[in-house]
Amino acid sequence: MDETTLSVRTAAVRVHGLSRRYGSTRALDGVDLTLERGITGLLGPNGAGKTTLLSVLATVSEPDGGQVSAFGLDPADGAERVEIRRRLGYLPQELGYHRHFTVAAFLDYVAILKEITDRRRRAEEVARVLAVTGLEDRARARIRTLSGGMRQRLGIAQALLGGPELLILDEPTAGLDPEQRLRFRELLSGLAGDPVIVLSTHQADDIAAICPKVVVLLRGQVHFAGTPAELAVTAAGRVWGADERDPHAHLSWRGGDSRWRHIGDEVPDGAELVTPTVEDGYLLLSHAAGAR
Amino acid sequence: MTSAGGARTVLDLARAEASLLVRSLLVLAGLLASGAVVWVLFGSVQPLWWNAAWQIGFGQLILGLVVLAAAQLAAGRARREGMADLYTSFPVTAGTRTVAHLASLAGAAPASLLLTGAAAAVVQARGAIGTPAITVLASGLVLVIASGAAGIAIGTRFSHPLAGVLGALALFITATTSHLVSGAAIWLVPWEWNQDQLSGLPGPLAGYPPAGAHLLELAGLAVLAGTVALAVTAGHVRARGALATAGIVALAVTCLAGALQLRPIPTAGLDHLVTETASLASVQHCTTANDIRYCLYPEFGRDLPSLEEPVNGVLARLPARPSHPLRVQQVLTLDLTDLTYGHSKDQISQWRAQLRNARASALTDTAIYLPVGSWPAGGSQLTDANFAVALTTAEWGVRIPAQATGNPASEQFLPCVPLNQAREAIAIWLAILATRPSAGELQAGLSSGGHYLGDEVSNTFVPTWTYPGMTAGYLASSGFAPQPTAAGYLLAAAMVSLPQQKVSHVLASAWGRWLNWHTTDAQLAAALGIPMPSISTLVPPPPPGQTTGHGPGTGPQSPQSPLCTS
Repeated sequence: MDETTLSVRTAAVRVHGLSRRYGSTRALDGVDLTLERGITGLLGPNGAGKTTLLSVLATVSEPDGGQVSAFGLDPADGAERVEIRRRLGYLPQELGYHRHFTVAAFLDYVAILKEITDRRRRAEEVARVLAVTGLEDRARARIRTLSGGMRQRLGIAQALLGGPELLILDEPTAGLDPEQRLRFRELLSGLAGDPVIVLSTHQADDIAAICPKVVVLLRGQVHFAGTPAELAVTAAGRVWGADERDPHAHLSWRGGDSRWRHIGDEVPDGAELVTPTVEDGYLLLSHAAGAR
Repeated sequence: MTSAGGARTVLDLARAEASLLVRSLLVLAGLLASGAVVWVLFGSVQPLWWNAAWQIGFGQLILGLVVLAAAQLAAGRARREGMADLYTSFPVTAGTRTVAHLASLAGAAPASLLLTGAAAAVVQARGAIGTPAITVLASGLVLVIASGAAGIAIGTRFSHPLAGVLGALALFITATTSHLVSGAAIWLVPWEWNQDQLSGLPGPLAGYPPAGAHLLELAGLAVLAGTVALAVTAGHVRARGALATAGIVALAVTCLAGALQLRPIPTAGLDHLVTETASLASVQHCTTANDIRYCLYPEFGRDLPSLEEPVNGVLARLPARPSHPLRVQQVLTLDLTDLTYGHSKDQISQWRAQLRNARASALTDTAIYLPVGSWPAGGSQLTDANFAVALTTAEWGVRIPAQATGNPASEQFLPCVPLNQAREAIAIWLAILATRPSAGELQAGLSSGGHYLGDEVSNTFVPTWTYPGMTAGYLASSGFAPQPTAAGYLLAAAMVSLPQQKVSHVLASAWGRWLNWHTTDAQLAAALGIPMPSISTLVPPPPPGQTTGHGPGTGPQSPQSPLCTS
């Protein structure tokens, strides 16, 4: 297949009936998903299959069943898989680092692995991603001297090298402080070329802030796919506030104002209903899936 | 991406990896260690290219060990450092990365060439004999590359750093335990390090070592290791088929090279070597200078001036020469047993008979024998060797005979002792004036580590003196040479403090008397007008019953050393 043929294919990621097992554990169970250009947030508790799904999308893992198509390319085909990888930026959940490399040398090395062979372009790319991740002043530092947050930014920087059309970020905000998270949101929102971005996170407010679309994955299955507002709406009329803990609520927690926030199917009479958030919708879905 | 783009990626990646390899502290340390090893192997002995090239190769083995470990670390880096998933997501495949790792071994070439160049420069500067053996030197470079390829093969499968260390250790063990195998099989190990026979050859011996075949073996092993590394990471079935073919070819080449190395050394070469050993006159170049005959192997002609100097230094101060001539001659002391592998028993017996007959007529007191390969290149060792030649020349001049008891091959062999003979002090005095060694070095020969040195002569303990370089084996006939006494040295040292003209006059005025073995040290001291130095003031007497001798026959039950009497 030549490059011209590849470039005229459709520009989206489609997943159909995807399944993946680890021994007796079913990590993915018939996942159907369509990813358009823009940012899609992937929410789910630990063990829901988020990392497995992302690694399959990143062509790192092969599914046991189902089909994946990225930009019309089939990762099961060797040549097309390589073509997908040429358009891919990936940040695994647990990324090690070549600790004795300098930041710039590491990025330059990754740029070679991304087939950026023109030396000047490579240098420009390295400078660009260092700038967008705020690591310019650490370019000559050894990776072993970086803090955890800086390493996470370096991981994001390497994923951004080459301006990928498909950017897969597995918990990219883990380890970032609030200011860095804000900067990261800005960064993703401002990425040129309108790439397909999939990010998994436990931070529902990250999703609410930057993702036009959210997917909730529970026990290897997609339980919700829509906008964050739609996810929040799923909890409408089922979230209320109170001064005391309600033992009949599914989930209860105390907020910063010392008032209790409750989620449940049966709202007590006279309860003070509150506007649901993305997190409320996600928690309600998660609880429902756990109850089944 | 086009194939040109793929090649560019490989080149860029190889360049990055080569840069890491070159700047690796491990490789730098290995380079320094290999240089140190080569330096130690060179020692102080005059370098012979047919031996030195192989010694440089051992340094390359040390470099190869660290390149192996460094290459294993590089090849296993992604998996070891938790980046395997990320690397898998890149368009550059694991196979391509392995190709780049293999290509990056070119980064080890400058270190290898630097080692070779520096060692070769040192060898040449120290007056190396012969011409550089290019094939052997090239084999050293290929050894480093092959070691690196082995490291990559290990690293693609085992990412733990210990795997590389174990690989390097295995390579080191194969090289250092080659003495456990016999015959030509020693050449099958990557680098045979215990090749002391080479240093005793009077020139290059065709087929020894089998350098061309060994180079081929190392190249085959390098390709084989590279093929294994690629096979581990290759994704395509078609690629694996091609790699299997390449691996089979590499294995065949390696086996062929091994078979070639197992061939015996050509008969013609060994015939010539036996002739060179047994029939010195037929192969050596002899020249006469100052009535002394010097016979050296053709390659060693440049040693003549350094041999003439101590001899002439003695002759110039000798009142009269003996009637019998003196010859300075090179001899071969190597053991042919290790070289005759693969030849028939009859042939070997024939060679042994030739050598036996030659030995029977060798080693007389009218010659100074220099073993090939033991003459030092310079420094204090050369001063010591010069002193040994000067003293032997002087002993010939004062007619101290080379007498001994027993057979040189036996443990009961003991040289004669010129006990209380004025001519011994004269000989030592002549040697000191001819070569001017430091007084401290001369004095150090009176005792060793606080122990008394001495021989039993006529039931009397005689303190002896070890002259500089006496035990270094610069002369093949040193076992036959008289054993100097401490008294003789002390009197000679006292004579050195006198005006040379005065001593020369005393000696010349009664030369015949001084040559008589009955003329004592005391008589010479009296003639010179100096008190006889007392040994007891310098050398404490030995503990009762203890005698520490120079030969293997030491201790209270040692046989008596003979007196030098004629």
